[in-house]
Amino acid sequence: MATFSSRRLTKELVALREECPAGITLLSTEDLKSWTLSLELLGESLFKGEVFALRFTFGSRYPIEAPEVVFVVNDKYKAPMHPHVYSNGHICASILGSEWSPVLNTSTICITLQSMLASCKKKERPEGNDRYVKNAPLSPKNTHFLYDDDSV
Amino acid sequence: MKVIVHRWNAIAQWRWDVGQDGDGPDEDSEEDLCGICRASYEGCCPTCKVPGDDCPLIWGKCSHVFHMHCLLKWIATPASKSQCPMDRRPWGTRKSR
Repeated sequence: MATFSSRRLTKELVALREECPAGITLLSTEDLKSWTLSLELLGESLFKGEVFALRFTFGSRYPIEAPEVVFVVNDKYKAPMHPHVYSNGHICASILGSEWSPVLNTSTICITLQSMLASCKKKERPEGNDRYVKNAPLSPKNTHFLYDDDSV
Repeated sequence: MKVIVHRWNAIAQWRWDVGQDGDGPDEDSEEDLCGICRASYEGCCPTCKVPGDDCPLIWGKCSHVFHMHCLLKWIATPASKSQCPMDRRPWGTRKSR
């Protein structure tokens, strides 16, 4: 199974090095397990001018299993203020959980998250952010999210 | 033993019949790749070494095509909910084409 993920990730990496979607840049790809990409929104939106970073962590069962995707929170980057993004960087997005499909990839995930941010109407944290962040597992993959809002 | 091939004569080539029109392979076309492993249909899934009958394609009733091994890996996980990765319709294998 390890070759399964590494072969597909190698292909994705070649494609990303050739051309990233608009607003997406490869920051680091030390190995085939963890990549960091920067994400910004081009065009009018509440997040205009802000730059975020996404950390992808791929397991050996990728793409049969979804990667772990979080917004980087450190001295340089903050998680976007969005009703589906917790302040620790965890993202509540169905495609990273129950609606994952193996035909999705790094590029399509980035584009989906860009559009999630772009359709944001009010910059706010999810309800119960503080409580979630205090008790959150290290990986959001261990969180059982309920997806109840299709509008943003 | 080391064998060096100096010359060969190709006498035939094969392709899976994925029901595409037009003659001549359209290299690098999205439609010629398995959406799960991103390798070409004529190649094999990442767990096989040799393309051909041992690593066949599988056709869905929804018309989507994958390497059989790739699709079965997906369908075997509960997360798949037995849905086609492309359109999330219930997966049904097309028996003949």
